[in-house]
Amino acid sequence: MSQGSVILKLISLPISIILICLGIMTILGGHITPGGGFQGGAMIASGIILSILVYGIGNSPLELSHTYIEVLESVGALGFVIFGLIGLFVGGFFLYNVGADLLNVVPQSIQNVLHYPDVTNAGIIPYLNIFVGLKVFVGLTSIVIAFAGFKKLTEEGE
Amino acid sequence: MLSLGPIIFGLILGLVIGSQIKLNVSDTRFTLAAFIIILIAGIIVAWQSGNFPFYTDLPVSTAFLSALIGIFVGKLIFARSK
Repeated sequence: MSQGSVILKLISLPISIILICLGIMTILGGHITPGGGFQGGAMIASGIILSILVYGIGNSPLELSHTYIEVLESVGALGFVIFGLIGLFVGGFFLYNVGADLLNVVPQSIQNVLHYPDVTNAGIIPYLNIFVGLKVFVGLTSIVIAFAGFKKLTEEGE
Repeated sequence: MLSLGPIIFGLILGLVIGSQIKLNVSDTRFTLAAFIIILIAGIIVAWQSGNFPFYTDLPVSTAFLSALIGIFVGKLIFARSK
């Protein structure tokens, strides 16, 4: 699976790290710029996929363990649902933006806690972007890890 | 006013992802100098990105820089060898 070139192996990890940082930047700018959780998560996954393709499964410096994938996938899904339920119980609607509170129905204390600390009035949208980003990042990466693992098993069986 | 949101969450996401970097599995050696080069390249990319996403507090992308620092700190503190 892995490529033999030394140049590829030297340059892949730095490019992966830069790609991951660009993905995180896209996630965190998702509420006011094009992009968001899915796109940023896909960019982070592309960084890890590059590393897995070049170094090979089992030798990659950036490889996610099963527990790590499980935990992040669960945190992503649960976080999104929990924020939706907070909106339902506090504001009256599922996924109501309790941080921005356009209808003025949320107590100020809850609004302060869930308000994203920046100059825009985005409320909980950046948090939802972060949860979607985590879920997409581990989801796409686990698909590639599974494919690489299947290929390795097939090659070993032949 | 410095926007804390991208700095805090960039650091957290960087820590989470940086904790999975393991350098003893590959046959290619990455020394401290290699990581300093990556840091300098990252600072250049952050500078070229400008004040993304439109926060005019600093001329660099704070989310990018904090993610880069988070990855390095996560690798140093949390990364386990295989």
